[in-house]
Parts: sequence; structure tokens; C-alpha cells
Amino acid sequence: MSALRDKVENFLYKEARLMDENRYLEWAGLYADECLYWIPCNEEDYDPAKHVSMLYADNNLLKSHALRLNEGKAFAQQPKSRMRRIVSNIEIDGDEGDEEIGVFANFTVTEIRKHEQRVHSGRSEYKLVSENGSFRIKYKKINLVSIDEAQDNVTFLL
Amino acid sequence: MATGNGRLIDYDALVREDAVHGDVYLRQDIFDEEMKRIYQRGWVYIGHQSEIPDPGDFKRSWLGLQPVIFSRDKAGKYHVLFNRCTHRAASICQEDWGNTTGFRCEYHGWLFRTDGELAAVPYADAYGDNFDKSRLNLRRPPRVDEYRGFVFASMSETGLSLTEHISGPAREQIDYFCDLSPEGEILVQCGATKLAYDGNWKLQMENTIDGYHPNFTHQSFFSSIERITGSKPGIFKGDSLSEVRDLGMGHTNIDTRAYNRADPAVKARLDMMQQTSWGKKYYDDLVEAHGKERAEDVLTVGGTHMNIFPNLCVLGQQVRTIRPISPDRTEVFLRPSLLKGAPDEINTMRIRQYEAFYSPHGGGIHDDVEMFNRVSEGLRCTIDPWLIFQRGLHRETVDEDGVRIGQCTDETSQRGQWRHWKTVMQEEINL
Repeated sequence: MSALRDKVENFLYKEARLMDENRYLEWAGLYADECLYWIPCNEEDYDPAKHVSMLYADNNLLKSHALRLNEGKAFAQQPKSRMRRIVSNIEIDGDEGDEEIGVFANFTVTEIRKHEQRVHSGRSEYKLVSENGSFRIKYKKINLVSIDEAQDNVTFLL
Repeated sequence: MATGNGRLIDYDALVREDAVHGDVYLRQDIFDEEMKRIYQRGWVYIGHQSEIPDPGDFKRSWLGLQPVIFSRDKAGKYHVLFNRCTHRAASICQEDWGNTTGFRCEYHGWLFRTDGELAAVPYADAYGDNFDKSRLNLRRPPRVDEYRGFVFASMSETGLSLTEHISGPAREQIDYFCDLSPEGEILVQCGATKLAYDGNWKLQMENTIDGYHPNFTHQSFFSSIERITGSKPGIFKGDSLSEVRDLGMGHTNIDTRAYNRADPAVKARLDMMQQTSWGKKYYDDLVEAHGKERAEDVLTVGGTHMNIFPNLCVLGQQVRTIRPISPDRTEVFLRPSLLKGAPDEINTMRIRQYEAFYSPHGGGIHDDVEMFNRVSEGLRCTIDPWLIFQRGLHRETVDEDGVRIGQCTDETSQRGQWRHWKTVMQEEINL
């Protein structure tokens, strides 16, 4: 296994763990100051200036959502979801030493809230920038399998 | 009294002026009767014309539980067609939306045009010489009509016209929404976010025009706003100038006109918008289209926040459709809209503003859904089955159009819905 793959995997696993444990403020800290976080809606590719997204956020909006979820008054997350993610099928587009690398990874979240278990899956596309031996996320796009479905409650972040 | 599944349902005992019985959200026989009286006989929202702009465009929709196709034929005329092959009932349109030259039933190959005409029957000679294909076109509701692109259908050949159903005060609200466009047209063309919950469809109807809940259900959203602007909006406080209104026929709205006209923050936002080239263009085009006074009022009021009974909500940037599935299961489709002729910057801003609260990962809508689920759980307690809709009953006023008005945290709007619901459920008609 290459050193780069090692580093990428460690980074993605850490991101997953922070989300699993509802540590959204720390999670938001993984994002670059200039970043884009995008969950498309209805279909995977369109112009987000002309079509609604499930979330289309810069760093400020991500932090705002993180703070809202953290505050304990976001009732759709009261009680909070208990979650664990599996991140897999990792593909890396780039080489050690590149300033920016592309990463693709599938994920499955098993979630239990109020005694009901649900599964959410998708594929994430990242652009990671090197910083102090690790990365920050410059771009993350999450293509959900349930991209066009009516959802009961998906208030946590992905 | 009216019959439901052979059993008498006493609606007087279920809906009082100031309270409703929990059974109206739970009972299957009441739901069944709602589907017949409200979702067949009455006017039901199907879709907006702009969703199927081009010949051959179609989308799936529902008339209560019944699947329909909202389609545009090759001549450009729109149709509401039942999604059912006239041969042996298989649904003929599987995609939620798209463009096509016709609908083929894949069971036995019957082919229908986009206007519903039966175009071809395989091996038709087996039906004999008297087979009249023209009698087997796709079925359609007897009445279809529209207001400003909002298309409605009714399964009743007689009854109030759509203009009578959506009377002046309700049309005025839709006009506020559409007149935000310099061309007077909204475009429902930028997708839909969708939600579902284990609860009755009327919970969403009540919630959309509930001016009492935002400061509580959505306190985390308002905290987010406070972190950015330094203050919480006062629009939904108990002393706000905002109102709730019963527009008649079950249509209702939260009327923020008085609040917005008096709020210096609204004026400041509009002034700020005009500092940009696109904002200035939008303002100038609106003035050109509507005149200065109307344009400024439309911008200040900022659209509407209303329900058209039973399944259409028009609010903020969006057109929302309620889809009842069973007494305790409902889907809601929320479609942000664009303003035809407005600068791209304005329309993109509308989408982003919509997402901030209403998208599945946004800051508001799922807190509502959580409350629907909590109400549905609480409804199972039978010791006190009444839900209280008494707020502001003593201080309601009625204007010259017959519109009942309450302060925005009052339950005047829900009372209006329930009054109409009861009237429809008690109507002397043959089902």
C-alpha cells in the first residue's frame, strides 16, 4: 500500500468517525476555508445555480449547520441518531506530493434513531489539499443512492 | 351525518369550533371518505404548467390515491390523464418525469398518444368489426382548470368552478407570489426535495400556516440567524403585526404584509439589493412590469405563505404538494420556483435561501416533520382525544371580503381549514 493511500484512508476514516460521533464542529474543521460541500438532489449532475440541492454549502454554512446540530435544539436530532459508517471502494486520482488530489469513496451509514434502523449509502467525491502532513477538504460532493426519494429524516450531515 | 364504509360518521361530534377529535387523523374510514369527497369531488392541485413546458413533456402526479399523468401533447396543450391502461389497468407511465412521443402499456402493447388518444392496439382484428378504439382513450378527470399556471382537476362534472373555489382573497396571495417575476410567471423547473412522515396529511396542512410554532419548533434555525445577524426575527412573536387569515373554502395564509411593511430590515435589504447591477435591473424590470407602487409592495411583501385546500402550499420560494398515502403516511414534494425574466443571481439566491431551511439537510423542515411524528405518537393516547385550536378565537375579526383574521400566533387559519373540511365531509351528495 502506498504512503499516499495510507494517508488518504486515515483521513477519510477520521472524517467518518467524527460524523459517526456527532462531532460536527471538529468535522467542519476538516474543511478548507474556501470549500464547497454539495449533496445533489434528484440527479447527480446539473448546474447548482439552476437546480435545487439537498445542501450546497461553503465553509460558513457548514459551520452554521454544525453549530445548529450541536446546540441540542434541532429537534429532528433530539434524540440524536446513533450511527456508524463504512467507507470503502476508495479510488485515488493523484500522486504523493501533488498539491491537490481527487478521491472517490463509497459509504454506507447505518443509523438508529428512536429504535428505528435505516441505511443510507452513496459515493463521495473529494478534492483534498495537503496541509501539515494531512489534508483539508476543498470539495466534497455526495451522490446518494436515495438521491430522488422522499426521506423521513436525514438531518445529520454526510 | 354521513356514511363511511357503511358506518355513520358523526362529524359534528369530531370537529368543534375550538377543537378537533384525534380520530380525524387516525381512522381509515374517515380517510377513505376524505379521498372520495375532498380528493375526487373537490379541486385538487396536479402540477404547474411550467413543469411540462415542451410538447411531449410529462410528469406523474396524483388525484388523491389515483395516479395521473400530467402531459403536454405535441400541439402544446396540457392534459391530466389517469395512469391506467384502458385494457387491463396496468399503469403506462413509470418514470416520474420526462419527454415522450406516447405512452405504451408494456403488458400487451397498447399505445396511447400524449393527449390520451389510443393510437394502436396489437392484433386489433381479434376484437371484431365493431371494435371502436376511440372509446378506449385514456380516462381523464371531467374538469381541469388553472390559475396562473397552477393546474387543478376535479372528478366531479358539476360543482363550483375553479374561479369560485379559489376566490379573490386567495387569488390575491397567488398573485403576490407570481408577480415577483417581471414577466408575471414562475417557473417550477429546478427540481424537488421530498419528505415523508408517519402521520396524517392534514398535519402538514395545519403546519404550513401555523404562525405559533416557528419560535419553538424552529428555535435552532432562528439561533443560526441570530449568530449571523445579531438578532432573532420578531415576525412570529405574540405581538407581531403578522396575521393568520382564513380566506374561505379552506384556503388560509400567514399574512406578513403589515410586519414587512413596518420592518426597517426589509427596507434595508431591498435598498442593499439595488446596490448590485443585477438587483437594480430586477427592481427596474419589476417597476416597468407592475408600476412603482405595486413593484415595491410585491418586493416588500416578498411573495406569500399560504395553503390552497387541500394539497397545495405556496410559500417563500416554493410550491409544495401534499400527497396523502394512508391515514398515517404522507409524502410532501417541495419545489422551489424561479422567477421568469429575473436575473440569474436572483434565481440562484432563491434556491440557496430555500435550501437553507427546506432542503433535507437544511435547517428547518425536518424539525416540522419530527413534530408530525410526535403528534402521531401522542394521538394514540385516548384518555383525552381532543386537539385544541382555540387560540385567538375571542379576538378574531372579519373583513369586508369575509376573511377571518387573527394575530399570527392565533389558530384562525387552522379553524378555517377545519370548518371547510367539516362542510365538505357533511355535504349531502351521493358518493
